[in-house]
Amino acid sequence: MSEQDFIVEMRGITRRFPGITACDGVSIQIRKGEIYAILGENGAGKSTLMSMLFGMIEPDEGEIYIRGKRERIDSPRRATQLSIGMVHQHFCLVSNYTVAENIILGMEPKKKWGFFPMVDIAGANAEVAALSERYGLKVNPEDVIEDLSVATQQRVEILKMLYREAEILIFDEPTAVLTPQEILAFLNIVRGLRDQGKTVILITHKLEEIKQVADRCAILRRGKLITVMDVSSSSTSDMARMMVGREVSFTTPKAPHDFGPAVLRLENLTVGNAVGCNAVNSVSFEVRAGEVLGIAGVSGNGQNELADSIMGLRKSQSGKIFLNGRDITGLSVRERVEAGIAYIPEDRHNVGLVLDFTLRDNLMLRQYYQAKFTHRHFMDEAAFEKYGEELIRRYDIRSNQGGATIVRSMSGGNQQKAIIARELDLKTPLVVFMQPTRGLDAGAVSNIHRRIIEERDRGAAVLLISLDLDEIMDCSDTVAVIFGGRISRIAPAASLTVDEIGLYMMGVRGGEVA
Amino acid sequence: MTELLNMVIIDGLSFALPLFIMAIGGIYSEKSGITNLALEGFQGVGAFAGAFAAVFLAQYTAGPMPCYFSFLFAMIGGGVFALLHALLCIRFRANQVISGVVMNILAVAMTTFLTKRINAAVFGNAGNKFMLGTIARFTVPGLSDIPVLGAIFTNVYPFEGFILVVAAVMSCVLYCTPFGLRLRACGDNPHAADAAGVDVNRVRTVAVVISGCLSGIAGMSFAYSISANFSADIFLGYGYLSIAALIFGNWTILPAFWACLLFGFAHSGGMALILRLGLPSSYNDLVRILPYVLTLVLLIFFSRHNRSPRALGEPYEKGKR
Repeated sequence: MSEQDFIVEMRGITRRFPGITACDGVSIQIRKGEIYAILGENGAGKSTLMSMLFGMIEPDEGEIYIRGKRERIDSPRRATQLSIGMVHQHFCLVSNYTVAENIILGMEPKKKWGFFPMVDIAGANAEVAALSERYGLKVNPEDVIEDLSVATQQRVEILKMLYREAEILIFDEPTAVLTPQEILAFLNIVRGLRDQGKTVILITHKLEEIKQVADRCAILRRGKLITVMDVSSSSTSDMARMMVGREVSFTTPKAPHDFGPAVLRLENLTVGNAVGCNAVNSVSFEVRAGEVLGIAGVSGNGQNELADSIMGLRKSQSGKIFLNGRDITGLSVRERVEAGIAYIPEDRHNVGLVLDFTLRDNLMLRQYYQAKFTHRHFMDEAAFEKYGEELIRRYDIRSNQGGATIVRSMSGGNQQKAIIARELDLKTPLVVFMQPTRGLDAGAVSNIHRRIIEERDRGAAVLLISLDLDEIMDCSDTVAVIFGGRISRIAPAASLTVDEIGLYMMGVRGGEVA
Repeated sequence: MTELLNMVIIDGLSFALPLFIMAIGGIYSEKSGITNLALEGFQGVGAFAGAFAAVFLAQYTAGPMPCYFSFLFAMIGGGVFALLHALLCIRFRANQVISGVVMNILAVAMTTFLTKRINAAVFGNAGNKFMLGTIARFTVPGLSDIPVLGAIFTNVYPFEGFILVVAAVMSCVLYCTPFGLRLRACGDNPHAADAAGVDVNRVRTVAVVISGCLSGIAGMSFAYSISANFSADIFLGYGYLSIAALIFGNWTILPAFWACLLFGFAHSGGMALILRLGLPSSYNDLVRILPYVLTLVLLIFFSRHNRSPRALGEPYEKGKR
């Protein structure tokens, strides 16, 4: 096979970061017009590898060939010139600009007004409309980005690449933020792009999607290329084994049992958001002892406000919250903790931890003021240390200096373990998990899922709020779907299918309970 | 009474328009993502450079030439001084608030020192100010006869017209040109701008320099109207007032214009009130606080609804998200 057949060739790419080799001698070859998946766990080096192809970082060693020619890609600008485009996991859009303005930014169509170069915004709108027509990517050029759904913003990102006549399209975890139906639509878009002759590179850790669209799949593990597989001739379990390096079970074992009395009960709870709209709208449900209630929903449908108001971080406007029959609506955060709520927040860095404190101090945040940890109103360092070391051991929190480690320097998975240790050790009757596995790799995820089930089996009521539908289905006894601040469906997990939940998540169906 | 009203309008405009051009400068800088508390310093240094040029040229030529050149040099002076702020904030990623405050302190000290030294060395006198006088005002025939509104066209400083023209051009550049589109993108999401091939740091540098140039125009206008000279008295806090105006204007030019007019009329209205009540001139200082009191009151109403550019105050680092 001659070199010309490969549109992208990366040879012996190595990139080191302080303390870690993110990519270690990776060589891949991508054919023109194929869908090439890059599969690996978090931290396997997928994104790093593709960031180098897009010029965001440069390799320490190795060579990149585009269309058979050796290129030095030192900036996204250079990558764009080589007709490489990338859609990042966090979209790169100007939030207060229209769709068309975002697409043309940097390559504006101009019209002269005297000697004055003006942006031809009418022309841009027409051009974007034509482009969106041609590739079947429905957008309205004049909509403002911040009013659009995530899926639409993603289409804008794709159009941005196509406007720049990109031939090689890189997608970084494109489906992480989409509902099941949106994922199907997205995969169709990807097929459409391939049929128009584009080369598509998908960075993902979702095997199902690879199986559905990809032609070939490179598997990375800890920075090394493990193998390149033909997708049509390999099974998802083969790919999973290659990715993780061992057999993985996709489900968390869970013994059936009966639920106790209601621990958490919400009555017509209404919560406002930062701009004063009702983010949570007259929500009522209960979570029983020994039950995991999973709340599924697309990001921004009131999940944050719901969790914050249960924990007391945000005031509710009306409605009541009961914990074991006691009205806790007016209590402060500390009073709620003492009443028996543990909270694993979504935002570990700002809400969950004090990043510049030591691990030991972070583990103490809930209890430092209590009699057993104080000595004549001074903090009892010795008691801190003893308790901290015990939690570190029991919850297997790994860090380079033990309890004295500054939390900022720890890995995401261990930071999350620290929060979980602190909260679960309170042994409260109610535990609220908000997006507990966001950004963690498969090993850490299964560990946390096991903890959730342990809490349930201990007899605690567990409220699990997650954007990851698989996680909800895997752990929950009962599933509630939140859409537009209302619970649109609540039913035993076993009686629901993923597709059905997806429809409720998008608001296509609903109204039974609301 | 009519006379008093005319006075309020005439003086109000001649105060509001320099504020306005300075606020546009601030909008440029902040829309590109660089916090700019240094407008006060920029206008002072601009006025210093312009006043020096005017006094220097006046030795050789009479007529309007020194005045024209003073505005040119005020823009250059403000722009060059602004480059220092840009260098600190963009190249060295200094805290932009601190850099701005430092610029202001530096401006006062530097211009005071240099004015004395230059007076001694170049002009051979011991003063601590450059004497300028005020520029001749003009009245538009016809239009000035309109009742009440005619005051807008009466006793106008030439710089008022100049400022309006510059303001129109700068609005157009900010909202209609590719450069303006890129500039505003840098202040909202510099990563998106970078990915689109925009050199974020260069755009921001240019924006800060523009804010220096426009502030220079403002400083020179104050020097030619309110104070009739250049001295350390130019640092009266008008720069901060224009920052307040741009915030009330929600970082957009036209609403900032209305805010500046409001400040201008508060300023001149207070003065008129003192005249009317026949209070001694020592009360002038009391009235000078009027725009600032107004600022405090308006802050209560506006702060909640206004949205600053999202990336304001954040140094841009490639690859960091």
